[in-house]
Amino acid sequence: MTFHDGTPFDAAAVEWNLKRWIGLEANNWMNSSRLYAGTDIVDDDHVNVRFKEPVLGLLQEFAYVRPVRLLSPKSVSGDGSYKAPVGTGPWHQATAGNEGSAFERFDAYWGDKPSFKYLEVKVLPDSRGRMAALRAGDVDLIGGAFVSPLTATEAETLKGAGIDVVIDPGTTTMIMAFNTSRVEALRDPKVRKAINLGIDRAAISQVLYRGLATSTGNLFSETVPYSGKRFDVPRRDTETAKSLLEEAGWVGGPVRQKDGKDLAIELVVSEEQVPGSRSVAEVIQSELQEIGVTLTIRSVDHASRHSDIPERKFDLAFFQTFGAPYEPFGTVVGLFLSTYDNGVDGKLFIDPEHLDPLVLAAMSAPEGEMEAALQKVYDWLHDNDAIAPLLFVPGIWAHAARVKGFQSPATEYDMPYENITLAE
Amino acid sequence: MQPVRPLLKAIGAFPRSAVFTICAFVLLGLLAPYIAPHDPNAQDLLVAGQGPTLAHPFGVDHLGRDTLSRLIVAARTSLVGVCLVLVCAHAIGIAIGTIAGYRRGWTDELLMRIVDVGQAIPSLIVSLAVIGIAGVSYWNMILALALAWWPGSARISRAVAVNTMNKPHMEALRVLGASPVRIYFVHLLPTTIGAVLVYATADAGAVALAIATLSFLGLGIQPPTPEWGQMLVDALPYLESDPRQVILPGLTLTLAVIGFNILGEAVALTEFRSR
Repeated sequence: MTFHDGTPFDAAAVEWNLKRWIGLEANNWMNSSRLYAGTDIVDDDHVNVRFKEPVLGLLQEFAYVRPVRLLSPKSVSGDGSYKAPVGTGPWHQATAGNEGSAFERFDAYWGDKPSFKYLEVKVLPDSRGRMAALRAGDVDLIGGAFVSPLTATEAETLKGAGIDVVIDPGTTTMIMAFNTSRVEALRDPKVRKAINLGIDRAAISQVLYRGLATSTGNLFSETVPYSGKRFDVPRRDTETAKSLLEEAGWVGGPVRQKDGKDLAIELVVSEEQVPGSRSVAEVIQSELQEIGVTLTIRSVDHASRHSDIPERKFDLAFFQTFGAPYEPFGTVVGLFLSTYDNGVDGKLFIDPEHLDPLVLAAMSAPEGEMEAALQKVYDWLHDNDAIAPLLFVPGIWAHAARVKGFQSPATEYDMPYENITLAE
Repeated sequence: MQPVRPLLKAIGAFPRSAVFTICAFVLLGLLAPYIAPHDPNAQDLLVAGQGPTLAHPFGVDHLGRDTLSRLIVAARTSLVGVCLVLVCAHAIGIAIGTIAGYRRGWTDELLMRIVDVGQAIPSLIVSLAVIGIAGVSYWNMILALALAWWPGSARISRAVAVNTMNKPHMEALRVLGASPVRIYFVHLLPTTIGAVLVYATADAGAVALAIATLSFLGLGIQPPTPEWGQMLVDALPYLESDPRQVILPGLTLTLAVIGFNILGEAVALTEFRSR
């Protein structure tokens, strides 16, 4: 077996690749990296990887696209930094640019080879442009919440035009975050609960997601491992919401007040980050108005979101969980552990005093106790109304008629070429 | 009365179609809260996307809001926005233009070179830059557009001011010993404002379009305030399944802009003939 450049794929190459990421502080969210103890080369075809204790989900973690990868040791620059994607996979990169990348089938690939020879990935930033390209026959496949998102409305339009649309339940959850450090009112769990009860999730799923999304009260969908027991989906109940706000001291109307201050909150929305979120925001705005909460919507672009969210410059904001294969720990650690640097994605909810110990306990729990430890995190988030889970985001794909055998990929990071054959 | 007279005179000579469209726009804007049949922000998700009915003659949008009411109230949003931008832009422009026209010499040279720089950069780019730095909000949008629009006003104001300063009665005033303050505030400024106001009306269409453009990009007016550009972007996903949602705000915006553009052309022609 060799890399694309002919370098032999052997134990030394595997060890070299492992040491590029394993055991580094930044990768502590992965059990395999956190518990790493060392490697020994046995012979040309075998490497022993030692761990301090048994690693839960080791094989799953080793299948992550990032940071795990097997790169030809000869392909990197002199200082060891990444230069080109020279791996052992079924495709090798022919060209790469801002407009797209082209791949050719690697005929020496060790596994099942793709049924077609060329694969081109085009960059079409606008979803209407992508839809038009698909219908014009310029591209064969679009979709996936991460790669080239399609909204439910767009899926319906494509279906109406006779295009094949494939929908899978998806593994990500759309959640509204409360920033308690910026808004004093949100520090009161009663206010958070009232907001949770003020939202009509069923209507949002039905109207804005055309019934393709499932509304939820859970952090994870059941497709995620260790996703915990199912909570009831919060049903809109304006009377209870109003009385909760009264109890919390927010009284009067049309905008409730406490100590002369209006109950006014800002919701940060990035349509680029979460497609369709602006309409969801407008619905929530109107629904919360009925219980006496004024919501201002602040639309930002991708770049502003990536700076505002980590700096916690938001009162309310939409988040999406990371989805397979990073769950449940990707989200539980990344979005909730206050001491972990989550880069541009920021934090969904932080409480160093109460939540951090639960997350840390779940991270270090032995396999048999892990489910219970994670459940404690879920329960805490639920009982304190720390987050407002809204719905499970469906994965929507659309493909040209000549594409046969398409199946939704297991994760958003897999290119779903495997079962595809092209009918000419 | 001095500034208003040329404006009224100009309006009298304008094509009827433009005057009618603009009057309709201004009236809708002024009376919007009284004539809109429904609350423009009241949602009814059960009827979302429904076509015209007796209760909603223009149908409802993707969130079940009455389209007619939103179009009417959006005229007000646009009208207020356009007025604010023009007032701010012309306040800066007229001040700079008249100072340059009154002082002439190196002051004129310096100010006009600044204006040249301002005019060399497309207005949309200036607005995007200002909003990028100051952040997205209604007042930042007004400020951004005002900063993009003032150079044009400054150039016209300077031309009018130079023209006025060369008139014999200005010479006479100086000979009679009128103070510079008197000449500037009593004689130069009102004449300039009057002439520039006509141009301002003609510019309104472009400003209305710029507000719609920024809102379309999500950088202008924020939801739920009804605005034509925003109504367009909200309706775009439904372009095929329900074109009505896109066509109605698009048509309204087009009518308003065409109205002002016809006016603009008429202004240019009138000015040309009067010389």
